[in-house]
Parts: sequence; structure tokens; C-alpha cells
Amino acid sequence: MSDTATSPAQRRPNRGYGRWTPLWFLAPAVLTLFVIGIYPTIFALVTSFRRYNITRPREGFPFIGFENYVNVLTDSTFWSSLLLTAKFYVTVLPIQVALGLAIALLLHKPGMGLLKSLARVTLVVPLATTYAVVGLIGRLIFNRDFGVANQALSVFGFGPIDWLSTQDGAFAAIVIMDVWQWTPFCALIFLAGLSMVPGEIEEAARLETSSKLALLRHVQLPYLLPGLTAVMILRSADVLKLFDMVFVMTRGGPGSATDLISIYIQRVGFRIFDLGTASAQAILLLILTIIISRLYIRLLYREVH
Amino acid sequence: MTFLRLDNIKKSYGDAAVIKGVSFAAEKGEFVVFVGPSGCGKSTLLRMIAGLEDVSSGELYIDGREVTYEEPAKREVSMVFQSYALYPHMSVFENMAFGLRMAKKPEAEIKAQVLEAARILQLEALLERKPRALSGGQRQRVAIGRSIVRHPKLFLFDEPLSNLDAELRSQMRVEIAKLHRSLGATMVYVTHDQVEAMTLADRIVVLRAGLVEQIGSPTELYDTPANTFVAGFIGSPKMNFINAKVASIAGNTLTLAHPTFAGGTLALDTPAAARTKLGAPVTVGLRPEHLSVGAANPVLALTLDFAESLGGSTQLYARSEGEPIIALTAGRPNLKPGDALTLGIAPSHIYLFDAAGLAL
Repeated sequence: MSDTATSPAQRRPNRGYGRWTPLWFLAPAVLTLFVIGIYPTIFALVTSFRRYNITRPREGFPFIGFENYVNVLTDSTFWSSLLLTAKFYVTVLPIQVALGLAIALLLHKPGMGLLKSLARVTLVVPLATTYAVVGLIGRLIFNRDFGVANQALSVFGFGPIDWLSTQDGAFAAIVIMDVWQWTPFCALIFLAGLSMVPGEIEEAARLETSSKLALLRHVQLPYLLPGLTAVMILRSADVLKLFDMVFVMTRGGPGSATDLISIYIQRVGFRIFDLGTASAQAILLLILTIIISRLYIRLLYREVH
Repeated sequence: MTFLRLDNIKKSYGDAAVIKGVSFAAEKGEFVVFVGPSGCGKSTLLRMIAGLEDVSSGELYIDGREVTYEEPAKREVSMVFQSYALYPHMSVFENMAFGLRMAKKPEAEIKAQVLEAARILQLEALLERKPRALSGGQRQRVAIGRSIVRHPKLFLFDEPLSNLDAELRSQMRVEIAKLHRSLGATMVYVTHDQVEAMTLADRIVVLRAGLVEQIGSPTELYDTPANTFVAGFIGSPKMNFINAKVASIAGNTLTLAHPTFAGGTLALDTPAAARTKLGAPVTVGLRPEHLSVGAANPVLALTLDFAESLGGSTQLYARSEGEPIIALTAGRPNLKPGDALTLGIAPSHIYLFDAAGLAL
């Protein structure tokens, strides 16, 4: 009798919850992040300061200071790849933003509820498709002899284009596939922005102007800017590391027509096996991504409320 | 001269009819209030006048021009919304200037108009602020300012005061009334608050379930309600209703029977006697403020249930068969719950309604 009376008092109120409990909950996530994110980044940072060619292990991997960085910054191929990547970015982004906005505006219009929810669901399909698969689809679409692209062109009387073996054709092909994959993302982001505009504010504007363009420019656009910033940041980061789709479709060719920066880095790292230089390139890319993101946020991002 | 005319306006969403045929005309400069309980269609009706809601059938005229299918911006109306609906990213000045800019007015004129509106509404000190830095009352004034700078033909208000606290609400009510007087503009105002309707309106349109119950000046609605709905809706506290039966008719003298009446019956000299028959149900309406305590020949004999002192007056709740009877009396009568309560009323203040609820 007496021990049943004392045992609740002796029992610790938070049994099973100790000093280290929060740590155990955090550990799996932190560990995973460390293994797949932080460790490789640190490894790349360290490697970028070494001569690290894995085909010549006998020479060892000595620290050489900033020599890799100097090599990268004086490498004209690096700069032309970067320029090509920038050209790719400024080509695809306006198309994606314009088409995405158009789709979002159409979906935002009242009426046709069932069809619109169907359309919203189908928007997710390209987003859910793996880059490599997009590349494979691209290879099929732009095949010279049996591709859908040439078949569609022949309907309008245009001769077959050898998409993937010409410089401009290959670039156009990867642009089209990227637009296919990312326009729905822009549309969804803009649609979310449009639905944030309070109904009464839109109505107040409709009483003051009948111009749809003025409504878009003065009332809806402020609500779209945060989404546009997000799109620009995500897309610039994504284009800088865009690899699988282009690699599967063109391997960077023909010549250097689609030799985007990530393809070039892959070649330096895993064809030439100069991991030191490749790491330096990757770190420079990371810094560039951060700078661009900060710029976008500084220049564009505005809270509406 | 008729300025705003609604001709058998109907609205339905699919099979659900929301507005079931409303016809109505307002004169230039009139202040019209749409009033009714939630869901009666008053806001839908206002939004149809603005063009924000399509008209299912019927015709709508503003200033002699048919605008039934006209775009909202081309109707030359302005609207003040319940949520104020200010453009959050624009300053107070830009909010008010937006409509003029869209109309491509010269910059000097825009500035003059906005400053004039700001002066009227005492917003001069706030012109550079963003809406989020304003209080509810200030936002509401900006919303009103935005609607007056354009000099619209018609002002529409959609429950503009319901987001404000009680004190601010009565203050803004006075400001809107003053504004109406100084601008001389035609205004249509939607509210569920019968006090706002009574104090602001030149004419009130009482709506219920998509139909007009009665149209008239505030005093007309108060003095001669067309039916029990209007009688119960206009006036605060609500009118008391007693469901009596006709006990006898002798010429113009009508005798009604109900246990609540002193002596079980109520005899009245009324021309309505001819319009009813023996044994017919008659609803007797008595306004709380017309009932007087301790009158010489009482009409009602009741027991006091509860008394609420409002300071200057007292609200009495009396037990009866059916709904409790409420009386509003000046001063503080010396009564306790359970005391006998006799209430008198002038015969001219007794309202009679037939079985369908229509005034007899």
C-alpha cells in the first residue's frame, strides 16, 4: 500500500524526455543534410584549393592555393559556357513568364470550373517529370526522321529540320523542352498570386477602369511580384545546374552549341578527371547564384501588405 | 425626374433565384437605402447596379441611359466597399487619384480634385501614407474620398460602416449624411442596420428573400408598415406581436380575444373591422416605445419578468403566452420581477395584420 502511494511521487514527471531528446529528433534530418549537402560542399571547397586529378594519384593532391581559381577565371571555355548559360536563361525565362502569366490569367477567369481544375492538375505533370525523362522525350520529339516536331512542321509545308545535329536547332530544342517543363510552374505561381488579390479590390478597380491591361499593371502586378522574384531565383539557380535534360538530349553538342556551364563542369570533372578545377568552377557558380538571388530580392521583392 | 430605374430586375445562380423581380425608381439627389436581413439579396442588387454582377433579366437605367449590360467602368458609378478595398501598394493620394488617372485627366486637375476631396474628408495630413498605416475610420474616409473625386453620377455604398466600432460608426453616419447634403448626389446605400436606414435615408427599400416588401420614407415605414415583416424590421426594440382572434364585430367596433389583453379582450374602433370576419386570426402589433406603464385604462395585463435599466429609460420584459412582451418606458419605474404589470397604449398606435401578415 505504502509503495503504491509513494511511487507516483518518485516517478519523474517527464519520463522518456531528457536533455538529449530534441537532439534525437533533429539528428536524422541534420545527418542526412550533412551527408548529402554539407559534406560534399565542404569537400568541394577543400578540393578546389588542391591539385586533384584522380588519373594521376601518384602526384598526390597538394594544396596549391588559388591556382585552380586563377585557371578557371582565365579559361575562355568557362566564360563562353557561362555566357551560353546566360543566353539560355534570358531566352527561356521571358517565354516562360509570358506563357505562364497568360495561362494563369486564363485559369483565373471565372467559369468552366471542371475544365479549369482539370487544367490545373495537368500543369503539375511536366513539373513531376524527371529531367532525364524530359531529355528522352526531347530526343524523340526532335528526332530528324520520326519526331513529332518535324511531322508537325511538315503539315505547314516546312521541310524536315535536323534539330539535334545543327547548332541553332539543338539550342532551340533544349529551349523548347525547358519551356515545356517550366511554364506550368510559372503558371501555378502566378495563379496563386492572382488569387491573392482580394475580390473587392479587383472590383473597385473594375469600376474605375475598363482596361484589362491597367487592371493587370496597377492592381494585380503588385501581387505577382513576390512570385516573379521566386521564379527568377529558382530558375537562375536551376539553369546554372541544369544538366540531365541537356546531357541526355545533346551531350552539350553539336560542337559547343548546348555546352551549358554544368555540362562543361561535368566534362572537366569526370572526363578530364580534374576535380580540383571542377570544384573551383562549382564554388564560383555557387557564389554567383547567391549574388544573383540577393540582387533579385533587393531589386524586385516587395511585400504587398 | 427619375435618375435611377430598375425595371423587373431578376438574378438567379443556376436554378436558385436570388432576386425575384425588383422594380424601383429613384429621383436625382435622393438617398436610397436597401435594408433587409442577411441573404435578402440587397448586396446582389447593389452589385448589379454597379455592373459587378450580371443581370439575369430586366432593365437598368442610370440618368436616362440603359446600362443593363454596360461595363462597370462606363456606368459612371462609384462604390464604397465594406472592406474599403483600397489598393494596398498605393499611397492615399494615389488611391484617390487612380480613377482620374485611368480617365487620363491632366495632372493639375487630378491634384486639384484629390486635394479638394482630402480637404472635405480631413485627409490632408495622410496623403503620403499607405493604407496599412491608417485606422479603420481613416481607411473608410479614403474609400469615400476615392469615390467622390471622380464626380460619379451615382454613389453606391455596400455596408460601409459594419467594420467600424459603434462610436466611429455613428460619427461616420453623420459624415455620410453631411456629404450627401453638400454634394447633392444620388446615393444608394445597403445595410442590415435599421438605425442606419432610418437616419440616412430619404427613402427605404425593404427587401426580403429577393423581393421588395415595402418602399417608403423612414416615417412612412414606421407609421404604416405594409406587413408584419416590415413592422418587425423597422423600429428598435422590435414590435410586439400578439396573435389574437376576432371575438365580435359590431359596426366599426372590433373585439379581439387573447389572454394577454386586460380582461381577455381588446375592443377597438377601426375601419378595419369591415375587412375581417368573426373568428379570423388577427395579429396585433404594439411598439415597445408606445406602451405606457400604469395607464388609466390598461390594454395589457401581464407579469414583469425582467427589467433592464438603460439609465434614462428602462426596458421591461413581461411574460405572456407566446412571445414575451417588451415595453420601453422613460425613467425608472419601481417594479420588481413577479410584479403585476399593466400597460396602456393609444388606440392610434395599435397595428392590425391579417392571417397573411398584411396590414388591415
